[in-house]
Order: sequence, then structure tokens, then C-alpha cells
Amino acid sequence: MDMKLMIEKLFAEGKKQGMEDMEVYYGGGNSLTLKVFQKELDGYSLSESEGLSFRGVYNGKMGYSYTEKVDETSIEILIKGAIENAQVIDSEDEELIFEGSKVYKEVNNFNASLAAVKETDKIKFVKELEAECFKIDDRIASVETCVYGDGYGETIMSNTKGLYLQEKSNIAYTYVVVVAKKSDDIKTGFAYRTGNDFNKFNPKELAEEAVKEALSQLGASSIKSGDYTIVLRNNASADMLDSFTGIFSAENVQKDLSLLKGKLNEKIGSDKFTLIDDPFMEGGLSSKSFDGEGVACKYKKVIDKGVLKTYFHNLKTAKKDGVETTGNASKSSYKSPIDISPSNFYIEKGDKSFDEIISTIEKGVLITELQGLHSGLNTISGDFSLAALGFEIENGKIKRPVEQITVAGNYFEMIKNIEEVGTDLKFGLPGDAYIGSPSLKIKKLSISGE
Amino acid sequence: MLNKQLIVDTLTAALSTGGDFAEIYVEDRTNTGIVMIGGKVESTMSGRDYGVGIRIFKGFNSIYAYTNKSDRDTLISTAKKAAAAIEGTSGNLSINLIKSDVKNINMIQIDPDTIEKTKKVQLMRQAYNTAFNYDEIITQVTVNYTDYDQNIMVANSEGLWKEDKRVRSRMGISAIASKNGEMQSGFFGPGASKGYEFFENLDIDYYAKEASRIAVTMVNAKYSPSGRMPVIIDNGFGGVIFHEACGHGLEATSVAKGLSVYSDKIGQKVASNLVTAIDDGTISNEWGSINIDDEGTSSQRNVLIENGILKGYMIDKLNARRMKMDITGSSRRQSYRYAPTSRMTNTFIDNGKSTPEEIISNTEKGLYAKYMGGGSVNPSTGEFNFAVMEGYIIENGKIKEPVRGGTLIGKGMDVLNKIDMVGNNLLHGQGMCGSVSGSIPTNVGQPMIRVSEITVGGREGEV
Repeated sequence: MDMKLMIEKLFAEGKKQGMEDMEVYYGGGNSLTLKVFQKELDGYSLSESEGLSFRGVYNGKMGYSYTEKVDETSIEILIKGAIENAQVIDSEDEELIFEGSKVYKEVNNFNASLAAVKETDKIKFVKELEAECFKIDDRIASVETCVYGDGYGETIMSNTKGLYLQEKSNIAYTYVVVVAKKSDDIKTGFAYRTGNDFNKFNPKELAEEAVKEALSQLGASSIKSGDYTIVLRNNASADMLDSFTGIFSAENVQKDLSLLKGKLNEKIGSDKFTLIDDPFMEGGLSSKSFDGEGVACKYKKVIDKGVLKTYFHNLKTAKKDGVETTGNASKSSYKSPIDISPSNFYIEKGDKSFDEIISTIEKGVLITELQGLHSGLNTISGDFSLAALGFEIENGKIKRPVEQITVAGNYFEMIKNIEEVGTDLKFGLPGDAYIGSPSLKIKKLSISGE
Repeated sequence: MLNKQLIVDTLTAALSTGGDFAEIYVEDRTNTGIVMIGGKVESTMSGRDYGVGIRIFKGFNSIYAYTNKSDRDTLISTAKKAAAAIEGTSGNLSINLIKSDVKNINMIQIDPDTIEKTKKVQLMRQAYNTAFNYDEIITQVTVNYTDYDQNIMVANSEGLWKEDKRVRSRMGISAIASKNGEMQSGFFGPGASKGYEFFENLDIDYYAKEASRIAVTMVNAKYSPSGRMPVIIDNGFGGVIFHEACGHGLEATSVAKGLSVYSDKIGQKVASNLVTAIDDGTISNEWGSINIDDEGTSSQRNVLIENGILKGYMIDKLNARRMKMDITGSSRRQSYRYAPTSRMTNTFIDNGKSTPEEIISNTEKGLYAKYMGGGSVNPSTGEFNFAVMEGYIIENGKIKEPVRGGTLIGKGMDVLNKIDMVGNNLLHGQGMCGSVSGSIPTNVGQPMIRVSEITVGGREGEV
């Protein structure tokens, strides 16, 4: 059925049943995933899916509902669900349906050349990736995971205030996990690439990165417990920032769930610490022209040289604080109500190369991987204690691999203790946002080991 | 949920290029979620998930495709597209579907859909009020309510055809305590494979008070010590140690390809003699229980480790081929968007003989982990970690001052061998487990146990 017609019918029926402003958010797309194990394509999956989210104002409150059966038979259930849900809302914060921004900056997230890549070439790529890993070193005992995937998605937002926005995007990703073995010593290494230019995926380069990561950890042991100068490698720092993005949400600030409450325009981090949210970043995988409420996105510095400049807002939180929305309303899928999240969010790079940073450290620990980020850190208190892998640094040089340690501290304290910021800005795997960091030198964190 | 002829035709199309097994999975699920922050309902969401997954095997290889539509044209064309990934010709397979009944071990008394949302909100308000009024330093309380009704159908080219219904209910209570510019949180999240009767019989005040008590205790606590020391882990959610240190490593997903540290170790000693561990999907109405798994196999009680000896794995159909072992009713998935694979259900260390009092009084020095948070593991290396949500120092056989922010790390078999006391107070706790086939409800469980030495990651020196 024609989407526009379905939406018109939905709105007309909603109005009949006493709803005021209404909005539809539609997401649809397809995906392909290829997995190789021991030269065979041992996993192949494809999908075609869609869903429709509906929200509308009933007696002054916003009600939500969604369905994955996108046809006329769902209209009644959608309206009934939204009205029921609106009736139990007792928050006084007003949620708004937006009529549209004056100007939207164009963002192109769709690459036609990716859509044209032949499946046989994708299969060839992922098989090559596995083969390359074994070629590099005899100590590679297995390639645990070897994956290529891509997907296409389209979003439509339409509301009774006349807003109609459409967006399409495609993305490809590949990752590999290798297992290196030397007698009883087993180590894994991981590498990935993301983007929508298939030609930029180089199996050899990727294999080398994963293999190097695994081999470099062979022979690791623990280290004596104590406080050390720490280098948080780019990927580890990006993972940690990813876990703490919630502290910048105005929703959390207003609900007393963030320690950044009351800290606007205060110095909360080191002079070298600048945090940017750039929805228009070249190559950014969370680039977008409009947010989850249809508001035009904008570039912002969240922290500028250590000073907190803004929180992330949507229309509701902005109205409550008497400010303009920052265009950070998000909808991670048609199943979720409006939330808040960054777009392409990263720590601005500094002026020292990774090697230069290491060379400034007499005794310290380089952290290359953090584990258990979903449980070992507390976004409310900022406290973290995380299992980690890395290397011991001595006299400005990387000395030996380290395992079975935890690194502990408090994020709010840590960002004050950033002494150097590297030039090696790197982004993690995209989720609700695309998050990046260069390597950071931290004055001191606690290491627990032997 | 689909008629017999359409199922047969879809499976036939799926096998048209030489696949040797095909399966169709239909899911129709309604969800309700309500979030209350600061005593006010902030958001509610309800909706319907609907989709179909088609899976084809050829030898050790598998193909999976899913779609939201279940009309004849879409199903046949999806099956054909999936089949196109196999190069071959159709064998002479005839499919003889026989619908069989599913034994229901999770009896539902009150369908959550028949209860008005305002009633559900009342329960949340009760949780909020109790938690918020627990102490004046409690500054925020968030209550999450969820229920769902998942109806599934699974049929395959071997003739299996079953339908099942899974209803689950859960409430999460999170309390924040603030003092001197610091904040700490406490959480409790009871859940079950039950309908609304779960909430009617739930001691909401107890869980609300516990969440707040944890937050208040932790905001007053000093930082956890660091280094290797004896650790006592209490019953219930403490069982997350076995889930991470061993459970994931016994899933065929990693065992079949020889990637797990537990591969090829059946009959060998992998844990202390005191450890007997079980994965049991058949416990009535438990959070992780299933009548049938997502391949249609009846759930069962699988002994994983008996007196320290490795007895079995959790095995799904595809990995059973590679392993040449029997399936164990362990194949699970979050939704039709995932191909199923071997996962845990209700996994626990069985009761031992020590009383909790004996375990504590016999420990001179160490850490007592009363409540655990979540954790993770790398099954290839066996390295695991998990967070201590509420910890205490133990000195001279007595529980002393509280400590916060500790994490326990180790390598799988090493820590299982160091379990030197096992209590007699087995209890289960509820969690969500994320892995290759998505996020699924699982129980973890254990009686109180003691590990003679494990690395504790904190911010202070040794005990």
C-alpha cells in the first residue's frame, strides 16, 4: 500500500478518535551478512524489514505505539495503543510535534556504488580476509569470526503540522577476530572497517591489524597493583566515552541523573579536552540533516578547552531549560520513544603523535582494550573499574604485554587529568551514535593486578 | 499461525537448491513498556513485533533470511532468495508435517493484556514511593515495567510443527543516593515467566527497599581494595560468575569450532570437586525457562559439570552436526531477526554443604560480594570480568565496612578450580544475556560460594 495514503488514513482516523497533533516515523530496509569459517561460507543471512512508529497528543499528553505489520489492519491498534499510553503519562514536561525547521543542510549517506557491488565480490572479499589472516603468521590458530555485512535503510517522518522528511542511507562493515596460540597461551585480536565505500575495504590491511593485535599480546602477564600514568589508546578511550554519553543528556541532567547538573560554563576538564558533536562530519556514520523530532541538526562543541558549553537537548528538554534544542532528539528505531543522543561525537585531536606520547612516560601502562563496559562502570557516579589489556611502558618505550589487570578511576576526575591528546583520532563501531577519540595520556589511574 | 500448505511450500522452496534441512519460524509478539522517573510516568510504549525467519542448512553451513511479511508471495520469494545462496539441485525430499502439542511448564494465570495500564502504573508508584522514602539521601528513583506475550511457530523439513506462547513480566527498580556531590545507584530487577499474577504476588516493597539500601550503603562506602584475595560471592545473581567464567564457554557456538577453552574436555576435571553446575530450562515459571527452544525441541535439564568433571555442553541443531553430539533443547534467539543458536536458560551452581555462616567465619581476610552486577567473557581466552554492586571487607571471619566500585577478573577454569567452599542456599537471579543470537532472558544462580583467590580491581591497596 502507498505509504502516503496509509499515513493520511491513520491521521484521519486518529483525529476522529480525539487525537490532536500526530506523527509517523517509518523505518525500513534490507541487510546482508556473510560469515566465513575455514574457507567456507558458513553463515549467510539476508533480511527485508520495516516498522512504523506512531505518536500523538491526546488530552495534552503524548502517546506512542508501533507495529511491524505496516498495513491498514494496524491503524486501529496503533491509535488505541497511543491513546491508552497517553492516558497514563503524568509527567508535566510537554512533548511537541514539530512543524519543521526553515533550512536543512543536505547530507548524503547513500552511495550508489555500494548498492551495485556484486554478491560474489563480497563473498570473495570475506574469504580473502580469512585467508590473509592465516598467511601472516603460523601462530594464528584460528579465525574465530570473519564477517562482511551491508545494509540499506530509509526513514520517513511525517506529521499533521505539515512536516514530511525522507532520508536514505547505506553502510557496509567488516570485522575479523583472530586467535593466536603459543603452547597454552591464547590471545585474540580484533579489527574492523566501516563505511559505504566497498573499494576502501582492504583484506590484507585488516588481517594485518588483527593479527598484530593478537600476536603482540602473547606472553602477557599481570603487573603489580598501584597507581600508574596511563595512556588510553584511541579505541579504548572512544569505548569509554561511548559508555558515558548519557551524562551530557539534558534529560538526565533535569532528572537528577547526571553529575553535570549545574556545571554549564564551568571548567570540568583539562584545557586539552574539547568534545565535538558534528552531524555533518565528512565520512561520519551518524551524519544526518534532521533529528528524531524533525529538527535540523547542528554542529556544536559540548566541551571547549575543558569548559562545558551545552547539554544535548530535544524539544522537550530545551523548552524546560528555556533554550533552543540542539537537534539531538533520537529514535534508535521505530520501537523507541524520543530519546537524546549525539551524532558524530568525538574528542578533538591534539598535537602529539602516539609515539611521542609514549616517549614522555617513564613508568606507566598503555591500555589497548577495555572489557565489560556495560557493567564495570557506573554512569551515575562516574566510577569505573574495568578489566583491561595493554602494555607496560618504561623509559619512554613499550616494554611488554600486560593482561589480567583492571584499571579503575572516576570519569569526571579523569577528564580533568588529561595531560596529552594524540593526533590519532579513531572512531568505534557505529551504534546509536558514531563515537571517536584520539589516544589520551592520563596523569594517574589505579591498576589492580598482582 | 500459517496454514499447513504454505509452510510445506515455503520449506520446499527453501530446499530447491540442495539444502538438506529447512526451518520456518514465525513470531507475533506484543510488548508493553512503561518508564516512571521521579514518581511520574515519563514514557510508555506498546507495540507489535511480527516477522518470519527461514533457515536452511547444507552440511555445516547455514543460511538465514527474515521478513516482516507472511503472505504467500513474500514467503516463497524469501525462501528462494535464501536458497539461491546454495549452488545445487533439489533432492527428492517429501515433507510430512505433523503438528504436535507442547507441554506447558509455564502456566499463565492472568494475561497482562487484560490488565489496565493504570493498574500497572499503581504498582510502579508503590515501588517508587517505598524506594524514595527509604532514606532522605535518595534523590531519584526510576521504575521500569515490562511485559510481553510472544507467540511463536516453528516447523521444519523433518516434519516438526509446533506452536508456543511465552509470557514474561519484569519490574526494574533503580535508586540513586546523593551525598557531598557524589551519586551512587542501587538496582533490583525481579522477573518471571508469568503473567500479571507475578506482580500481584511480588513483595514490591522489599525489592524497592533493597535497591535504595544498596544505593545508600554504596554512597557511604569507601573504594574497593585491589589485588588478589579470597572472595565470597553471595547467592542469587552472584551466579553471574559461573555464567561468564564457564557458561558461555560451554555453548556449542564456541565449542563446535574448537574455539572454547572447554572444547574436547568432556570427562575431564575443569572445576573444583565441590562444583556441580546445571542448565535447566524446565523449572516452572522461571525467567529463563522455555517449553520448547526456538528450534522446537523440548527444553531439558542439562548437567554441565558434576563434582568438577565436565559432563556436557549446550547444543543446537547446526552445531550438533559439527560436534556429532545430541541437541540439548538450548537453541534460542531474541526474535525472528536472529538465527537461533545454543544459549543458556536457567544456569546455576548446585547446592553444597556449607552454611553461609561457616563460609564467612572461616574466612580470615578478603572481600564479600553481596550483590553482583553484570559481566562479560572472551570465550576464546576464557578471560572474564564482572562487577561487584555491593561489597564488604571481611576481617577475622566477620563482615566489616562496605566498599564500592570493585570488579572481579580471571580466567575461566582457573577460578572454577579455586572454588573452595559451596553453600547450601541456592537462589536464582534474573538477567538479560547478550550474544550472537541477540538478547534473551536468562537466570543465573548459585548458593554462596568462596573463591580462594581472585583478582579484585578497585582503587585502594590490599586488604
